[in-house]
Amino acid sequence: MSENVKAVRAYRRNVALALGLLLLVFVLIPVFVKSPYILNIFVLVFYMSTLSMAWNLLGGMTGQNSLGHAAYMGLGAYASCLLITKAGANPWLSAIFGMIVVGLVAGVIFYPCFILRGPYFTLVSIAFGEAMRQFIINSTFFGRASGVGLPFGRDSWLDFRFGSKVPYYYVGLAMVLLIYLLMKKIERSRMGYALRTIREDEDAAAAIGINPTKYKIMAVVVSAMVAALVGFFYASYIRYIDPDLMVQAKSTESVLPAVVGGAAYVEGPLVGGLIMIPLSEFLRARYSAMLPGINMLLYAIALLAVIRFRPTGILGWYMHSKTKKFVDEKLLRKPPVEVFEAVELQKHSGKEA
Amino acid sequence: MLKVEGLRAGYGAINILWDISFNVDAGEVVAILGSNGAGKTTMVRAVTGMVRPTAGSIQFEGEELAKKSSRYILDKGIVQVPEGRQIFTEMTVLENLEMGAFNKATRAAFSQNLAVAYRHFPKLQERARQAAGTLSGGEQQMLAVARALIGMPRLLILDEPSLGLAPNIVDDILDVASGMAKRDGIAVLLVEQDITKALACADRGYVIENGRIALSGTAEALSANEHVKKAYLGI
Repeated sequence: MSENVKAVRAYRRNVALALGLLLLVFVLIPVFVKSPYILNIFVLVFYMSTLSMAWNLLGGMTGQNSLGHAAYMGLGAYASCLLITKAGANPWLSAIFGMIVVGLVAGVIFYPCFILRGPYFTLVSIAFGEAMRQFIINSTFFGRASGVGLPFGRDSWLDFRFGSKVPYYYVGLAMVLLIYLLMKKIERSRMGYALRTIREDEDAAAAIGINPTKYKIMAVVVSAMVAALVGFFYASYIRYIDPDLMVQAKSTESVLPAVVGGAAYVEGPLVGGLIMIPLSEFLRARYSAMLPGINMLLYAIALLAVIRFRPTGILGWYMHSKTKKFVDEKLLRKPPVEVFEAVELQKHSGKEA
Repeated sequence: MLKVEGLRAGYGAINILWDISFNVDAGEVVAILGSNGAGKTTMVRAVTGMVRPTAGSIQFEGEELAKKSSRYILDKGIVQVPEGRQIFTEMTVLENLEMGAFNKATRAAFSQNLAVAYRHFPKLQERARQAAGTLSGGEQQMLAVARALIGMPRLLILDEPSLGLAPNIVDDILDVASGMAKRDGIAVLLVEQDITKALACADRGYVIENGRIALSGTAEALSANEHVKKAYLGI
């Protein structure tokens, strides 16, 4: 085994260990932290990071800048809430129902839109979000502008209803973990590679046999379904939803953690969410009483600084300073002819190269 | 191997190609020549299934491909090196090459094909870990050709390989292409504006003008043709 392979394995072990420790810390936080305010911030971090991971699949990995993710989240919240309030369905089943509905809606609406590229796709996604919001505001079935409330009652896992924030904290953490693993899986799959090539150059992707439309639809459907799951979580946590859930600003908020942390990295939204959301909450708590709006101003300055000085995000900056692309050094170090002969030899001796 | 007959294609209401017919056999380099806007790239796009032909037939080893998807055509072994290189600049050289084996059919033989590609273009091996965007123009074109080789072409289509490259690099790339035709028996379709270079490398050629085949013949005959001399070679 070459030195390099050992180094790669050691590195992977260290990363896995660090992530494991981090997870342990998060699992233990509610044991020591009792303040509902702090726990609320963590819950916020969890679901906003998940929403941002959903965005990142489409915006970061595929390069299709969507500014309509609040609409998917809102539709997911509405679909599951209405099924609970109008049909008395179980919340967990309603979550799945909401995800399927939103996935279908996103796939059907964006299928014809994917002939549009770049800014045109972004414009359509903005229009989609606003159209959905207006539709709900004007629809009696969806409760118009007054929204939909979920019933309160005794704590129950079956109804996903709790007085304390701790269960939401753990479900939120599980959601982050689950979606992170899903995204990691997608990134390493054929689909992940196809999405990366589409981000770089759609025509070149088509030239090597990748069907860009097919993979973009897959990305938009998965992304919308994850956003719908976040919508369900949000509705169950806040226990009330209204069309303001789908305003444009919310869509932008779903983009920020990914951009700050490093779009195109699966971990980007997590890093960004962990930094930006507590920062936003801190600024609000600390400064908004002094001068109204000053917290938003400071937040904007922090954001501009990242975009100006670290356009690839925190992770992008870190990765560039530390190249972590490992390939088979053994193959690289040998002179070319030798490699060829080695392969030829193996071929003739009937062994797999 | 490839037999195109009466091919018509275009974009929407605008027809670009009118009754194009030509053929390419195994082990042969065939040049498709013509100036800007003659319809060369549209022809490539029609053959690779990226533009749907409105009439005519495209037969590859006896199979009709005119209505097939680009993915299916690629699986049959028609691999193109698209115009303007179109490599993935943010991916490493090696990752670019891996993408050449995106289709299942060629994945099992990836390491053999990689070695072959490296043998043809040793520079790429030296730079395997580099982002492809940091390569020079010539190296990027080599990478585009190498990526096509990984896809195990039976018919390799080179669309304007000379675009923006130094003449000696173009020669290198054309040498690799004609070497593969002669040695491995693959068919090469060379689509070029640089007629001198193309005819020096090709066995036969077709001249496209305004979407129609204006002339055809062996490379020698075309080089000697008065019309070709006057219109394209400036002699």
